[in-house]
Amino acid sequence: MTTDVEKPPQRNGNHIKHKLIPSKLVSPPSGPQGPYRLPKNQHFRDHRRFGFSNIMLVLVILFLFAPLFVVITYSFNAAKGMRWTGLSLEWYKKLFFDSNELWRAFGNSIMIAFSSALVATMLGSLAAIGIKWYRFKARAYIQIASFLPMVLPEVIIGISMLIFFSAIKVQLGMFTIFAAHTTFNIPFVFLLVSARLDEFDFSIIEAARDLGATERQALFKVVIPSIMPGIVTSMLMSVTMSLEDFVITFFVSGPGSTTLPLYVYSMIRYGVSPVINSLSLVLILGIMILALTLRRFLKTIAASS
Amino acid sequence: MNVKQTTVRERRLGITYSSPMGIWLTVFFMVPLLIIIAYSFLTKGLYGGVEFPITFDAYLQMANPNFMRVLLRTVWVTTLATALTIALALPCGYAMARSKHQTLWLGMVIVPFWTNSLIRIYAWIAILSSEGFLNEMLKTLGFIKESLPLIYNQGAVTAVLIYMYIPFAILPLFTTIDKFDFGLLEAARDLGATKPQAIFKVLMPNIRSGIITSVIFTFIPIFGAYTVPLLVGGKDSYMIGNIIVDQVTKTRNWPLASAFSLIITLISTLGVLWMMTSTARERARIKQQPLKDREDTLGPSHNGLTSAGRVS
Amino acid sequence: MKGFDVTVKDVSRAYGSFKALDDVSIEIHKGEFFSLLGPSGCGKTTLLRIIAGFDSPDVGTVLLDGKDILPLPPDRRQVNTVFQNYALFPHLSVYENVAFPLRLKKIQPTKLDTKVREYLHLVQLDAHIDKKPSMLSGGQKQRVAIARALINEPNVLLLDEPLSALDAKLRQNLLVELDHLHDQIGITFIYVTHDQSEALSVSDRIAVMNQGKVLQVGTPYEIYESPATDFVARFIGETNLFPATVLSCNPYKEEYIVSLDIPELGTSIMVTDYDPLQVGQKVSFTIRPEKIKITTDEPRRVGKDINLFSGIVEEPIYSGFQSKYYVSLSNGTVLKIIQQHNNYMDDGPDIAWKDNVFVSWSAEDGYIVEVVDS
Repeated sequence: MTTDVEKPPQRNGNHIKHKLIPSKLVSPPSGPQGPYRLPKNQHFRDHRRFGFSNIMLVLVILFLFAPLFVVITYSFNAAKGMRWTGLSLEWYKKLFFDSNELWRAFGNSIMIAFSSALVATMLGSLAAIGIKWYRFKARAYIQIASFLPMVLPEVIIGISMLIFFSAIKVQLGMFTIFAAHTTFNIPFVFLLVSARLDEFDFSIIEAARDLGATERQALFKVVIPSIMPGIVTSMLMSVTMSLEDFVITFFVSGPGSTTLPLYVYSMIRYGVSPVINSLSLVLILGIMILALTLRRFLKTIAASS
Repeated sequence: MNVKQTTVRERRLGITYSSPMGIWLTVFFMVPLLIIIAYSFLTKGLYGGVEFPITFDAYLQMANPNFMRVLLRTVWVTTLATALTIALALPCGYAMARSKHQTLWLGMVIVPFWTNSLIRIYAWIAILSSEGFLNEMLKTLGFIKESLPLIYNQGAVTAVLIYMYIPFAILPLFTTIDKFDFGLLEAARDLGATKPQAIFKVLMPNIRSGIITSVIFTFIPIFGAYTVPLLVGGKDSYMIGNIIVDQVTKTRNWPLASAFSLIITLISTLGVLWMMTSTARERARIKQQPLKDREDTLGPSHNGLTSAGRVS
Repeated sequence: MKGFDVTVKDVSRAYGSFKALDDVSIEIHKGEFFSLLGPSGCGKTTLLRIIAGFDSPDVGTVLLDGKDILPLPPDRRQVNTVFQNYALFPHLSVYENVAFPLRLKKIQPTKLDTKVREYLHLVQLDAHIDKKPSMLSGGQKQRVAIARALINEPNVLLLDEPLSALDAKLRQNLLVELDHLHDQIGITFIYVTHDQSEALSVSDRIAVMNQGKVLQVGTPYEIYESPATDFVARFIGETNLFPATVLSCNPYKEEYIVSLDIPELGTSIMVTDYDPLQVGQKVSFTIRPEKIKITTDEPRRVGKDINLFSGIVEEPIYSGFQSKYYVSLSNGTVLKIIQQHNNYMDDGPDIAWKDNVFVSWSAEDGYIVEVVDS
């Protein structure tokens, strides 16, 4: 490209006028045929929409959902088996009006879920605050004790509790399930609330103390309100995990303390009834509603604080 | 949090807040674990339970070829299922991290993961069993006359295990890859790497901690799997979890069950320690204090790039 | 002259409705230190990424040494990039980072070692060979990035705001080093920056960009002294810029004496220009702050090519080697004026806040910008 740089003319002896013709650039002349257009597919592009990883993601999501869709579809099947005979709400009728035992099991599940979630949330949150806020000798022990239950296979926890309860001769039943559920919920509450506390600026407590709050007031008026979203999340997470647990419950349950997963297990094991199909849809919808309310709830909290 | 000076009063408050949980976990988790350790060195009681003397019988019983076969199978199935899970989860985590719709994809992964595990296992039974969805479908379409044996075998167990635990693998991979600086892939391409080379030489080494975490998150629960082999496996696909439960509930050989449990606990703990040290190392690598910029200012009179000799 | 020339022809790139590049054409010569200068979002980085191969244009072509490179993936272009955030591989040591391109080519180990050490020596990092990038300072990281980009012996080196993450002093030093390095190896450098002083100080030529368009290409001297548009005038250096209308335009020697009506100055002024202008034409008038003289006594008028105003100093800013004054004229318009302190005895800070001063400039120091940005 050429820029027309004109030598400035001299005047007044050695006074040089620093003025140039503007070199408004001037793109190189494009060919007579106008802008050159390259077919798009000839360009190199690294991230294609239908690249390997995207295809894999879609396939895996399909893999995750396909079985659920099959079950949901067949919950509307008139026949008992997997041969499609026609649309019917038969199994929903059975589920809602003719499954007393199932609903009793569901009631047990709900009772245990909420009680164990409540206790686990209280114990876990308080401990998380204590561990974050203060230094003391047993910290390491408490941290390990709260971490291990999360990483051990469920069978191990179930077996160890079963052996423990029989060793101290406690009758298996609702209480032992409650104790077991609280135990496996605590670590998650502790972890989530600790994570929330990590973002918490502890100088706020000093500010509160400076303004005349007692230690207890600082806890209840400053710390707990500001970690409330973490506490609520962990409580709801505990409810879900408790409702869903089968393996640990299986070991520590006794007569008359059947929970919903245990009931489903017996349905699978001893005679499959299409009621399971209809129950699946109800449970999946329940989970999704719970998840959505949780999200909305968290958003409201986040907005208000 | 800044480390403050600790007063006696504060220490007492910390203990007050933490002890309810500490006591609970001690009673309902640590004590049972200790009981298991103790029982593994005791003798099986005549009608269940345990008796003295202290022996290593339980550990010797584990050498039984039947148990060894199950143990080996468990290791094999777990390794295979974990490897396949990670191989599937890696591209998923990558695609999710690069996607503009991360929340949507996360939701898609989490909803099945939150659905009751028994319901999910049941769904597979409904699909794979001899009168199940797949067989009926194939029969209706006329591909087969007799039902295919799709369930109650090793393959079904492996597939369902992958299905159950793949979200556990995707989530940590996604979080790690999401933090990865994709500019590094461009840098690698710029320096002459092909796309696979960039993935394997730059992406993979930098998401090591995420890979290890998802390996642990899938390996440990699969290693202790109980429900899946029980419900979709046959007699020849029993895993160590099933052996333990049988020892407790049927044979009532508590020392042996304890010994097995202890082995699993040990393996799990070691795995987790490996995961934690590797993530800690990674975090340390990021946290290392870089030099202050001023220290490497060479001064205008002698500048680093040019005082050296010839190039190319 | 080593290196390749780069031709960008009619290149456009849109992201949805946002036009990142709008019909851009530039020719970069062999061995040139060429800067793409513009504010963030002006398209300069998009253009660089297209040349490197990380993005591709919707329309247009990019030629490297006369050959179309658009179909080639980045690893097959003889172009290397120094990235803004260094993009050093955190899992590899300094040595391995620099060796990375050679390892891909499966270069024989002894040869590789010699070459890596040579390049690390070139950027004076011999002492830090085994360190991980996280242990290096910003300047050192940048040196590693440079060595790594050069070890492939590219024909064009692309630099994407390589100094923006560094502090001002270090930036100056590295800039000089880069310039020396360019002289030494002689390949084409394409340097993207939003910092006009960086671009002015080292470039052979600069392309000023805004909103996806190239506004002007020229040497630093041309760009500073004769901006093609208001935007260029305002973006490069500091200036006083006013909309103006041509009142008269008379030939004088080889040029024209133009009288401009500038409402903001409340009067008309004289300026010289090479091109004839239409009476009534709307233009912009610009005068650089350092070209305006500031005095407490009324200067003698020499001819009619001196423009003279009086005003009050609103804000004197002393910064050692120079002083900057904001002088408000009687009608409220504020002029920026910079006075260099060349001589201790003569340049005492004798102009103070609220002083009445005279400001003046010669007709030939002002400049008419004919293209007015909308």
